[in-house]
Amino acid sequence: MIIFSDVKKSFGEKHVLKGISFQIKKAEIVFILGTSGTGKSVLLKNIVGLLRPDSGEIWIDGQEKSTFKEKDFMGLRKRCGMVFQHPALFDSLTVFDNIAFGIRKHYPKSTHQEISERVKNCLELVNLNGIESKFPPEISYGMQKRVSLARTLAIQPDILLFDEPTTGLDPISTNKVNHLIQELSTKLHTTSIVVSHDMHCALDIADRIIVLDKGLVIENASVEDIKKSKHPLVVDFLKEALANE
Amino acid sequence: MGVVPYLGLKYLEFLEFLRFFLEVLKTMFTPPFRKKEFVEQLYFVMNKSLFIVVFCVSFAAVVTIIESSFHMKIVIKNDSLVPGFAALLILRELGAVVTSLLLTSRVGAGYAAETGSMKITEQLEALQMLGINKINFIVVPRFLACMVAGLVLTIIANAACLFFALIVTEAKLGYGLGAFLSSMRAFVSYQDFIFSAVKGTVFGSVIPLISCFYGFKCKSGAEGVGQTTTKTVVTTTIVIIGLDFFLSWFFSYFY
Repeated sequence: MIIFSDVKKSFGEKHVLKGISFQIKKAEIVFILGTSGTGKSVLLKNIVGLLRPDSGEIWIDGQEKSTFKEKDFMGLRKRCGMVFQHPALFDSLTVFDNIAFGIRKHYPKSTHQEISERVKNCLELVNLNGIESKFPPEISYGMQKRVSLARTLAIQPDILLFDEPTTGLDPISTNKVNHLIQELSTKLHTTSIVVSHDMHCALDIADRIIVLDKGLVIENASVEDIKKSKHPLVVDFLKEALANE
Repeated sequence: MGVVPYLGLKYLEFLEFLRFFLEVLKTMFTPPFRKKEFVEQLYFVMNKSLFIVVFCVSFAAVVTIIESSFHMKIVIKNDSLVPGFAALLILRELGAVVTSLLLTSRVGAGYAAETGSMKITEQLEALQMLGINKINFIVVPRFLACMVAGLVLTIIANAACLFFALIVTEAKLGYGLGAFLSSMRAFVSYQDFIFSAVKGTVFGSVIPLISCFYGFKCKSGAEGVGQTTTKTVVTTTIVIIGLDFFLSWFFSYFY
């Protein structure tokens, strides 16, 4: 279980998170929605210690993380996979080596054959094959995003954090990624936290939706309850989602 | 911004850089040791910089000989001391400084842009998520490669400089190999060779440190990468010239 309790984070004079509190249960798919600059990515990075809160508490499976040192996060990061807003692939490595990178680090006893098989499986999961020997700049942005997802899945995390995973993807790949998130949750009981602007996807696969506005949680409810929300921002998001249907 | 706040910020930045440098030193002796990355960087820094370094320092040596001869003829109507003076200047300053300034513009700018791009495209955070220490993975191989390359390229640059100085001395000034060597022996001592190599090593190691330090602090966007690269080249150049002064002063006690 992930618990945020009155988490605040500022960058200089800019107060990005102004006291965020919520809970996320195991195997839940939670979408965090909000307009640009409301602190969605900052919130996600606070979970795994890429950013540290100024105040408040972050609990993950009974352990309070906000006071952890860098080395204390190693164990947590091994259990968490994060798909960044950018593909964040290492340009000097091939697609194969990018995906194998985490496997080699977290499972040092894996044989070359085991690594190859897992890389192939992860690429198939994101609808890609035959690009193992290519370097990231040689493939399209959408493909890079999917390789990035494959790299995250390769270490078999039980918490998945997605920072706008479908931005820049074609509709078919977007559907594929959304169903993959759903499948990982039902089959492997993976907890997924997805930062997105896409209410349409959220309504489709989320168990719960948290809406942020100006650094505060303005809605935290199931899909059915979100549909009944009267908050103007949520209504705008819903209108946009219905228009895209 | 006023002068005092500006100096305060620069002081804080200097302290931050010192912490970064100490972390690099600590990580250098901590496994895993990334031999493959080290060799790749060594190839990039040394092999690919060799031609440009030899080309530029050779011309610098030629100009040194010609200019020194011109001025000596005006002042003392004799240029027989030129080979010795030039050799001394080459070994004590020209070889190490010109080489490291060339490396700053070729390698330092590249490293700053590379690490800056890695920062803004979240590759550094991706490394962190995979449990990889960015200093161990990015900085240490570059630091060691530039240290070795600085040393080796300085030695090669000195040799090339002396060789071209000899050719010009013979062709333009009319002094043969014997005259060149005897003039050189009168001025140059074995310490000059050692101190030149030390300077090359120190200057070489400064380049990746400053590049990666600024790269890791890069602000988003193409403008951010551009500013990081400019800042790196300017700062590294100033630091190399400043270090050259301090090292020359320090070495003067050993003669």
